[in-house]
Amino acid sequence: MSASTETGSPAGKTWKSKEEFLGCVILTDWILLVVLFAVLLGSFHIHYMLLAGDWDFWIDFKDRRMWPTVAPIVAMCFAAASQSFFWTRFRLPIGATTVVLALLIGEWINRYDNFWGWTFFPINLVFPSALIPMGFWLDIVLMISGSWLVTALVGGLGWGLLFYPINWPVLAQYHQAAEVDGVLLTLADLIGFNYVRTGTPEYIRMVERGTLRTFGKDVVPVAAFFAGFISMLVYFLWWNMGKWFSTTKYLEIEEV
Amino acid sequence: MKSLNMQSMAKSVTTRVVRLWIFGLAVAGALTTLPAATPAAAHGERSQQAFLRMRTLNWYDVKWSKTELNVNDEMELTGKVHVFSGWPQAVARPGESFLNVGEPGPVLIRKSAFVGEVPVPRTFSMDVGKDYEYKIVLKARRQGRYHVHVQINVKDGGPIVGPGQWITIKGDMKDFTNPVTLLEGSTIDLETYGITWTYIYHFFWMAAAAAWILYWFMTKGIIVRYWQVKAGKGAELIGQDEKRIGAITLAVVLLGVLVFYAAANREFPRTLPMQAGLLTGISPIDEPRSTVAVQFKGGSYTVPGRELRIRVKVANNGKDPIRLGEFTSAGLRFLNPDVFTSRPDFPDYLLADRGLSVSDSNPIAPGETRDLEVIVQDARFDIERLSDLAYDTDSQFGGLLFFFSPSGERQKAEIGGPVIPKFQAGAAL
Repeated sequence: MSASTETGSPAGKTWKSKEEFLGCVILTDWILLVVLFAVLLGSFHIHYMLLAGDWDFWIDFKDRRMWPTVAPIVAMCFAAASQSFFWTRFRLPIGATTVVLALLIGEWINRYDNFWGWTFFPINLVFPSALIPMGFWLDIVLMISGSWLVTALVGGLGWGLLFYPINWPVLAQYHQAAEVDGVLLTLADLIGFNYVRTGTPEYIRMVERGTLRTFGKDVVPVAAFFAGFISMLVYFLWWNMGKWFSTTKYLEIEEV
Repeated sequence: MKSLNMQSMAKSVTTRVVRLWIFGLAVAGALTTLPAATPAAAHGERSQQAFLRMRTLNWYDVKWSKTELNVNDEMELTGKVHVFSGWPQAVARPGESFLNVGEPGPVLIRKSAFVGEVPVPRTFSMDVGKDYEYKIVLKARRQGRYHVHVQINVKDGGPIVGPGQWITIKGDMKDFTNPVTLLEGSTIDLETYGITWTYIYHFFWMAAAAAWILYWFMTKGIIVRYWQVKAGKGAELIGQDEKRIGAITLAVVLLGVLVFYAAANREFPRTLPMQAGLLTGISPIDEPRSTVAVQFKGGSYTVPGRELRIRVKVANNGKDPIRLGEFTSAGLRFLNPDVFTSRPDFPDYLLADRGLSVSDSNPIAPGETRDLEVIVQDARFDIERLSDLAYDTDSQFGGLLFFFSPSGERQKAEIGGPVIPKFQAGAAL
């Protein structure tokens, strides 16, 4: 870490030497990074599980319409808020990437320990949605443009559009067809049918339900554009939400 | 000075109280989580309201083809279900239903499921007042001893759990396979299919994200950047060099997305959307009309005695004399020992083999109509919390009566209606 050349903070009174001061800064940086990461992991995980929930839990919920609409929109909330914090306070272009990495680490711990380790659901039933390249996109659009407005418009749209192509490399294999007792199923359907979920009956899936019928089988681009559009609006709202929370004004001055 | 001391003391006490609280919570957490947990013996069916279990789906002829299996062995769970005519108003009708299994995780996988002759991997529709036959083929996956129920989930009604049986599975789950033949002809093991690639793909991107975060963190950290932004030097932190690094990274990321996407399309050129939709028109059991007509005339439940008494008028319109042999409700079976001379094979916790008696045990002759008092008395009625009917907003019972001719021919009749609880002095429900 190259803190030594640019700090210029008064060493001497509280610290015995400049080296000790810099060591303290670096240590605090690491503590901050770990704490921030853990806080984002926990809070974003709860948020995402509550709002994306079954769409993210199960492979047989990951359809072409509801999943690419819901998942990116609800993921945008914390990405925008986190960018607001990291960018306006630190000029760090890592807000979205950090928050989606934190989410995915939390999700993988959950899916591996709980879903597989405790209840034996195979990982191919319960793996989470991939989000990392969307985080890169949002962070780098903000870094290059330097504008949260441009990031909302360009970044938000790209966020929605990228979601399905990012997930397809894993998903495609489970959309191969099989015939079971004379019924046509994809492997995703079949995994959901084979591996019994007592509390998750088939009818709660929302597989391509709705009124979007004009575009035939090409529903993904429409869903993705819609997700991108709503993500723009969500970005505006949650950028300010992040800004609102990125302050110490809620603490008593003696405690700061 | 005095005030400062008091403040200091108060702060010290507060700190100690907080520490004690944290210590107490830690002890409580350790005590509740560290001792060995006992396995769950049921799936909460007793906690479902009595009227829901008695007056929605009446399960009968439930059979488990095996109770001991090795990993990879298959068994069948078969039976019939009567959709109660007096379906409660409080519960959505079974227009969208799903044939399910109540078990602790996928310890047995469901290879096939049928209602009648129709395969039901999806949601199906049932009609009130009809009977349906079902069959579920299960394959043993994980070693252990598990309670396995038949179950039908009803949309907006919830899971309605049928009788359960203990199933013992021997062997090791690591030997389990789930071969599936794809439409294009090749066979895969669905138990492990695609998992390694899923890990590789996800962890590749996660490693890339970690590298990106650490790169920016290691260049100037967090606090120094904060000071610089605060000093109005934020623009200096992201210069042309940084933007160039960002642009190159973004280009590589997008290229990676494109390559992975194209590779997936090349490897799997024929993919289908997920299949869903309601299966309607499933035929109920085609059985001859019952020759027994039963009319409910009233009933009561004596709380301390765990005794349900119902008065019925029975008309035998058949050619043979009949006797009442069984009352079944909510998966429980109450048998008349005068009719059942041997104990049928059924889980003990649900089988009251001496739990049914009638006021007049003489056979009802063909063409005869007789008033009977039917007495259902067994601790199982209470253990399975059917006596909680008195707590329900719709305190009506329901179930099936089975009459038998001397030749063993069975006639089924639905019965149900309001019952009045009888409390005795000192007795509590």
